[in-house]
Amino acid sequence: MDKRWFYPWRNAAQRQTLVISLCAFFTAGLLLGLVGIILLIFARGGGYFWPEDIYEFGLPIDNKPEVRVFGEFQGSQGLASLGDKSARYWLVYSHSNPPYKRRALVAAHRVQNADIARHAARVLLHDGRTFLAKPVFLNKHDERGRVLDKLPAYQQQVQRLTDQIETIRDIHLGPLHRKISTLTLKDSQTNSGELLAGKRAFERWQSKVIQLEATRGQYTLTLEFADTNTITVPLNQLKQLVYPGQLNQVEKLWLTLGNIWQFLSQPPQQANTAGGIFPALFGTVLMVFLMTLIVTPFGVLAAVYLSEYAPRNAVTTAIRVAVANMAGVPSIVYGVFGLGFFIYGIGGQLDEWLFGDSLPAPTLGTPGLFWASLTMALLTLPVVIVATEEGLRNVPAEIKAGSYALGATKAETMWHTVLPMASPGIMTGVILAIARAAGEVAPLMLVGAVKFAPNLPVDSEFPFLHLERQFMHLGVLIYDGAFHSQTQTSGASMMFAACLLLLLVVFILNIIAVVLRNKLRKRYQKET
Amino acid sequence: MLTLFERETLNLATLNDEQTAIRVEQLNLAFDKKSVLSEISMRIPANRIVALIGQSGCGKSTLISCFNRMNDFYPQCRYEGKIIIDGRNINHRNENVAQLRARVGMVFQKPNPFPMSIFDNICYGLRLQGVTQRRQLDEAVEQALKDAALWNEVKDRLFDPASVLSGGQQQRLVIARALALKPEILLLDEPTSALDPLTTLHIEELMAQLKKRCTIVIVTHNMQQAARVSDYTAFLHQGRLIEYSDSDTLFTTPRKKQTEDYITGRYG
Ligand SMILES: Nc1ncnc2c1ncn2[C@@H]1O[C@H](COP(=O)(O)OP(=O)(O)O)[C@@H](O)[C@H]1O
Ligand SMILES: [Mg+2]
Repeated sequence: MDKRWFYPWRNAAQRQTLVISLCAFFTAGLLLGLVGIILLIFARGGGYFWPEDIYEFGLPIDNKPEVRVFGEFQGSQGLASLGDKSARYWLVYSHSNPPYKRRALVAAHRVQNADIARHAARVLLHDGRTFLAKPVFLNKHDERGRVLDKLPAYQQQVQRLTDQIETIRDIHLGPLHRKISTLTLKDSQTNSGELLAGKRAFERWQSKVIQLEATRGQYTLTLEFADTNTITVPLNQLKQLVYPGQLNQVEKLWLTLGNIWQFLSQPPQQANTAGGIFPALFGTVLMVFLMTLIVTPFGVLAAVYLSEYAPRNAVTTAIRVAVANMAGVPSIVYGVFGLGFFIYGIGGQLDEWLFGDSLPAPTLGTPGLFWASLTMALLTLPVVIVATEEGLRNVPAEIKAGSYALGATKAETMWHTVLPMASPGIMTGVILAIARAAGEVAPLMLVGAVKFAPNLPVDSEFPFLHLERQFMHLGVLIYDGAFHSQTQTSGASMMFAACLLLLLVVFILNIIAVVLRNKLRKRYQKET
Repeated sequence: MLTLFERETLNLATLNDEQTAIRVEQLNLAFDKKSVLSEISMRIPANRIVALIGQSGCGKSTLISCFNRMNDFYPQCRYEGKIIIDGRNINHRNENVAQLRARVGMVFQKPNPFPMSIFDNICYGLRLQGVTQRRQLDEAVEQALKDAALWNEVKDRLFDPASVLSGGQQQRLVIARALALKPEILLLDEPTSALDPLTTLHIEELMAQLKKRCTIVIVTHNMQQAARVSDYTAFLHQGRLIEYSDSDTLFTTPRKKQTEDYITGRYG
């Protein structure tokens, strides 16, 4: 029987071609998958900032066959193309009850009938809530139904009132409050007259503030949903009001840039599903920075010891193998170790010695920025050690001999020649460490990263850098927000945006390190 | 006339301590079990050039490295016997090896400038000795480069990386680097074998100049070079010192058969 049909690759050359084609095929597949993921993140994350057009739809809601809503597309389900009749689209919409955004899959035929709603706006409030609705009129005192043209003027008036309130709070109420509390603490008998006067003044200013706030509360905006139900929001709550249907592309781009800036510079709201991500970005970068400061000296010292000072015997070899294997330990194990050893062990012991009075409430023995950085430094230590050893091995023996021959001791030779020449290798290790640390989430949740931290770890209060504070982290924010986004609507896109940012952070940190390494390489590589 | 005077030969057998730069007594050296140097005894006269010749692997580099204890970096290297420099046995275990190496400079076969500027290369040893004043360093650098006949070629680019220099310039830079420490003894291990003839000539002229300043021990494979530049020549064979006398005698009327065979190229 002719076996040619089964074995089309009869000779070695054919077999080799086949193997190479298969390799190429799988590599291409992998690359495509990778590019796909990155594109998806870019599209979904980047789209989060773009003011999409608002459409008016009819949707079956709450057992009613059709309710009119304003909504916007977030793309199709799966990879369906636009003309596809059976395609379904993700839609984010606002409906009067409750008036927040929701997310739904809608069939293609509804999309085809939808019209752009040019008079509908995206209304963003200061607390992070968003509506898609049509602003209909402004109200002030008893005058209802003022035309919308007055909006800038009204907003100015509201701003003026807000300024007044803030001024009274800062100049009068604050100092009075402090004065009253110090007087109360002191002997209240002798100062009773002064105290009484203070309290009177305080009350007077407070009633003034209440009055101003009431006036301000009378400036409102009435919004109408697609089902003609209305909602009224106080103007001082209004953060942003955009009519996407009335903007041209340049204006949209401008708005997008503004949104990106807000995203980068503002704290999150609504349980990490709205607002910005500044504290998380800050926490991530700071943690990685501290980690780098810790891991570099320790890793380099360990590598120098292992490759230059340690006796060449079985123990050293065993240590070297152990170090290389430490890089493969699952990161959560490091998290548990950090919690058990650093926080409860070292932190707890320090508490006993230094802060015995406040026990059992822990001072240092609680998750925080420093412990997190230390844990991540431990996690990335093997990478730095291995890369540094490699760099040390690459320093030519003649150079070392040259240094010794000029009367340098071993330590001097290390410091003046070997380490500078190994610095590109060291930088490679640090790059890998940063890449790993910036993306790691699991261990951090055990040792200090939280989904919400009231304060940044850096502020104007002495000692400015608060290493004991818990901090927010992009990875944790994504994890938390993604959880919420299963039940809430707006979170998912924000998570993609946060993912995109995390990628960018890792990317930028890497670029910085690579540029630095290439500089060092150029400097210390001998042309031969 | 002057060269004749400088080449005035001393009797190696009756050299007094004053005239001796290095005195080697009963030096034995082995790597692990393998004996590399056996019972070497010799006196190296001060302010002269002494050449070490012999086949590859006969132990020339090992011997020259004994003079500044560079063999210490091989843990498997064991040695016994005395090497006396300045009246002190440098093989003593309390010898300050770093200080010894500052006094006994060494240049290797392959030029090995550090990846720094020309200036910093020359300052390397001085800075280790604690010299930090910029004026002192400037002067020392100029002097060392002049001594190594390199000053005119590099004076305008002292702060360029040393790697921009040619091979011969690099080798002279390395010599200048050693000279900056004002060493008493300069050890040269095949310093010209990686260089072209013209550059080699440069370095040979340089050695003749340096003789006034220090004692030079040079390892070379080039018989003509040994005859040209050295005052004395030692012939090593399989770790033993076979013959050691002034170069004229050794190259014209060798006493030992092995020496004659080697210098006439019958083996090696
Ligand atoms: N680090 C070392 N370990 C073991 N043997 C060595 C070492 N260095 C040199 N040797 C041996 O010592 C002998 C002399 O070497 P060397 O002094 O370099 O010879 P050469 O005269 O060519 O310079 C050689 O046989 C070599 O194998
Ligand atoms: Mg040699």
